[in-house]
Amino acid sequence: MMRRSPVLLTVCILGFVFLYAPMVSLVIFSFNESKLVTVWGGFSTKWYGELFRDPQILQSAWISFQVAFVSASLAVVLGTLAAYVLMRFGRFRSRALLTGMVTAPLVMPEVITGLSMLLLFVSLEQFVGWPKGRGMTTIIIAHVTFCMAYVAVVVQSRLSGMDQSLEEAAMDLGARPVRVFFDVTLPVISPALVAGWLLAFTLSLDDLVIASFVTGPGASTLPMVIFSKVRLGVSPDINALATIIICIVALGVAIATFQLRRKK
Amino acid sequence: METAPLQGAATTKPWREGTEEPFVRIGRVTKKFGDFTAVNDVSLDIYKGELFCLLGGSGCGKSTLLRMLAGFERPTEGTISIDGQDMGQLAPYDRPTNMMFQSYALFPHMSVEKNIAYGLLRDGMKKPEAMEKVADMLRLVQLEKFAARRPDQLSGGQRQRVALARSLIKRPKLLLLDEPLGALDKKLREETQFELVNIQETLGITFIVVTHDQEEAMTLSTRIGVMDAGEIVQVDEPPAIYEHPASRFVADFIGSVNMFEGHVTDDEPDYIRISSRDLGQDIHVGHGVSCSMGQRLWFAMRPEKMRLTREKPEGVINAFPATVQDVAYMGNLSVYRVKLRGGRVLSATRANLTRHEEDGISWDEEVWVSWGDTAGVVLTQ
Repeated sequence: MMRRSPVLLTVCILGFVFLYAPMVSLVIFSFNESKLVTVWGGFSTKWYGELFRDPQILQSAWISFQVAFVSASLAVVLGTLAAYVLMRFGRFRSRALLTGMVTAPLVMPEVITGLSMLLLFVSLEQFVGWPKGRGMTTIIIAHVTFCMAYVAVVVQSRLSGMDQSLEEAAMDLGARPVRVFFDVTLPVISPALVAGWLLAFTLSLDDLVIASFVTGPGASTLPMVIFSKVRLGVSPDINALATIIICIVALGVAIATFQLRRKK
Repeated sequence: METAPLQGAATTKPWREGTEEPFVRIGRVTKKFGDFTAVNDVSLDIYKGELFCLLGGSGCGKSTLLRMLAGFERPTEGTISIDGQDMGQLAPYDRPTNMMFQSYALFPHMSVEKNIAYGLLRDGMKKPEAMEKVADMLRLVQLEKFAARRPDQLSGGQRQRVALARSLIKRPKLLLLDEPLGALDKKLREETQFELVNIQETLGITFIVVTHDQEEAMTLSTRIGVMDAGEIVQVDEPPAIYEHPASRFVADFIGSVNMFEGHVTDDEPDYIRISSRDLGQDIHVGHGVSCSMGQRLWFAMRPEKMRLTREKPEGVINAFPATVQDVAYMGNLSVYRVKLRGGRVLSATRANLTRHEEDGISWDEEVWVSWGDTAGVVLTQ
């Protein structure tokens, strides 16, 4: 066996410690008996119980989940269409411009996206009467717009790596373009759709800034609730909540990886 | 060539008689991509039951021509008709053609069976009936055991046969094959060539094959169309392409050749003489050639049509002294590189007829290179 350089090993360990130490301490302190977050007072799961009795957190978690689910799904549909058009409609005028514009939300500061969305919704309500007030609907719309850009990028790269003669072969065998899309293109790029959906879901679940701009009364997402709670001092039940989220995410990633590997 | 018996895939040769109506008519087709002309004013008639090869180097426009027949590209100018029907603006899914792709383009998410059935189901055939046909086709390409596999669980040769089966299942009037054997290794390619010809004969479907491999074209085809820079430079049967190339390009592209540039020094009805700087004496050509005195032309000599001897051969006009520079033993034959007195190096081949040739011609020997007076081809372009 090759001897590993001790320097490399040290760097590697330090890197992982840097990445995971905060999370590990968070998980450990979620089982802390003490009300003070920084003082260890013995093992306990009481904060988990506390958490599930807190209606505000449960409700906001449910809202966040709905928002993330709906906006990820819509973003996948719209992002895929955008990517398909940009990749498959040959060279048309202003294609480069459109490609750039689709991906612009990726680099746009969230504050600006949020502010512009807010202004849009306000004036829409004034002139069109929809969306009425602000709440879950407006958060979803705002999330779709920026998640769509991520999906478009992921799908675009998959499409460009796809052998175009697959689509030609289907057409050659008698399938019309719409049929070709559903029979061949969609199944072939489906891993990108799954990846795009997961990415969009995470981004939406994670978003604090844009949601804060476009939300209304009664529609606080989980990050907003956490943030407002933390401002009043970190309470141990937030640690418990974070631990649960970490577990869910880890489980999701593990399942996705396993599925993809089995497919291969 | 040992594959000679196959070269009668179509028993009749309608292109010789000119009485039969061509099955595929390509009329003055030009295809431009922006400023680049991929196919330039190509006209071609292909007859029913033919196995026609489009042969050329990469970028010569052969694939573009094939894609125009399939309907993936539209000609900038010109017309294409198949079986009397103008293809004009017909989309690929409305054409009586099917294509076998170079990459095979098998649908990775479908089983072998579903891949092959796809075309039938798109035509609205009921599933039980389609599956019956698929089973027949699987038998034809000897893949019965692999029906449920996915393309990525097959070897290259098996994938190739699935692609062939899928493109044949609809019994197209015309099958287009883009480098059908390109991805196979040499041994498998040779076997598959014969299989392809057998299937073509069994089904009687007209094949158009695009290839850059001249050996493949020679083995498979009833006729070959040689393409260069978007144009068809010669269309003929394989032996004619080899023995009577129309130009220096064709002579050079098909097989190997020794080319001498020279000019006419003697122009008689039954012979001409060509003077070339590479040779110490004139080349004697034992038949008349339509040319004029002093005209510049080229003399093409195939390596296997030259003889190498230690003694100067008797009664042969075209005999030149040379030195053996190199011998490459290839098993069935040996390739000799011999240097003429003028410095020009020629290649000549000798069949290895016996297993023990102790006194075979070897390195650095002084030899005579000679050829009969009708062994070479005189080319004027």
